[in-house]
Amino acid sequence: MTIVDTDLPERYRALLLAALDCVVTMDHRGSVVEWNPAAERTFGWSAAEAAGREMAELIVPPSLRERHRAGLARYLAGGEPVVLDRRVEITAMRRDGTEFPCELTITRSTQPGAPLFVGYLRDITERHTAEAELHASRARIVTAADDARRRLERDLHDGAQQHLVGLAMTLRLARRKLFDDPAFVAELLDEAIGDLSTATGELRELARGLHPAVLTEGGLQPALTSLAKRAGVPVAILAAPDERLEPTVEITAYFVVAEALTNVARYAEASSAEVRVQRVGGVLHVEVRDDGRGGAELGAGSGLRGLLDRVSAIGGTLFVESPEGVGTLLRAELPCGS
Amino acid sequence: MATTVLIVDDHSAFRSRAKRMLEAEGFEVVGEAGDGASGVDAAQRLSPDVVLLDLQLPDITGFEVAEAIAARPPSPAVVITSTRESDDYDARARRSGACGFVSKAELSGAAIEELLP
Ligand SMILES: Nc1ncnc2c1ncn2[C@@H]1O[C@H](COP(=O)(O)OP(=O)(O)O)[C@@H](O)[C@H]1O
Ligand SMILES: [Mg+2]
Repeated sequence: MTIVDTDLPERYRALLLAALDCVVTMDHRGSVVEWNPAAERTFGWSAAEAAGREMAELIVPPSLRERHRAGLARYLAGGEPVVLDRRVEITAMRRDGTEFPCELTITRSTQPGAPLFVGYLRDITERHTAEAELHASRARIVTAADDARRRLERDLHDGAQQHLVGLAMTLRLARRKLFDDPAFVAELLDEAIGDLSTATGELRELARGLHPAVLTEGGLQPALTSLAKRAGVPVAILAAPDERLEPTVEITAYFVVAEALTNVARYAEASSAEVRVQRVGGVLHVEVRDDGRGGAELGAGSGLRGLLDRVSAIGGTLFVESPEGVGTLLRAELPCGS
Repeated sequence: MATTVLIVDDHSAFRSRAKRMLEAEGFEVVGEAGDGASGVDAAQRLSPDVVLLDLQLPDITGFEVAEAIAARPPSPAVVITSTRESDDYDARARRSGACGFVSKAELSGAAIEELLP
């Protein structure tokens, strides 16, 4: 039996036994009188071991113990309760000395005589980790957007803008020489036409990098076809949805395939790649597989990391399977309504 | 005698077009530099009448280059230029020791001459 007090009514025993939260009771001396199975699992002490020991010694990290004892003494001496009946977050300690964040409510049971204190504790490590990851991922998304804008400004400045500035100078010179030196002017105009077409080409590339017009106009099927055509290796599109999906789902799927194919060309040394994008119920499955050298790692670079953020932001999941020497499978599952 | 010019800009296409334009307007381009450090160096070595200086260089900004040039004799006149445009640039250019700012879109020999002391 893991409940210390064997006289408890059956219903309350059931409550304590089944509770997912740790339920622990301590008397006015600070000693454990109740220790349910969740507490056994969380802290590593059995109820029999815990019974009668000082609660502070079992679950309060050494650095916080004095404060805990002083708080109890202050309350028993008639002080205002500080932690009773409200939710607090504290650091607790397991049997092996490891510490973890914990959410705690303490209440005083109202039977006559010396007070008893019932504590409800919940390990919130996972919630903390999830919150931290959420914050980090939001920060990365914002940084990635800022970086992209900065890159765009620089590309515009170094590319098209330089060509257009040069073009303006060439044309001003041509204007000045128009009657003196028509042969030279013809040369200048040829050069201007060249600059203009270079600038146009660069603007077209930039625009496509920002958002593929073919995706907006025709959906995933033609957009994937155009990605496949520009990939560095032969790419077979084994499946692509005919229907239009939500724009965020389409663009996310597009970026998954685009990043995967960029990686294939850059790292995989593959002879070919396959793309499969399929809607099954409310989930869009996106797969890009290559037969290259494998060894891809999520988090090793900014590309896949950024994809993971993007996919997570719409509630999807991203997996990489990339055994050395066998090839790489990048797989995303994106929720897409029903 | 023709006014001599040093062009400091990291885009070689810009340098060659600016050179051709200035020469057509009677300037003599005596040198080119692709970054700030070699710009400062060339300004001292060639002692041109004018340094046409781009604002965005790979190593340091044009303002810093202008300050470095102004600090070392013979400290030629410096005209700062950029594709970016800001109302603030002319004042900042003057504070850094340059004699003014002209945007690349409006760049010409005449525009440079107007700024010279
Ligand atoms: N298809 C692939 N085949 C082999 N290696 C890959 C593949 N894709 C990615 N990698 C490896 O995994 C790392 C992480 O990829 P990614 O996050 O896209 O990085 P990056 O942003 O540098 O492209 C790459 O640096 C590369 O070494
Ligand atoms: Mg990549």
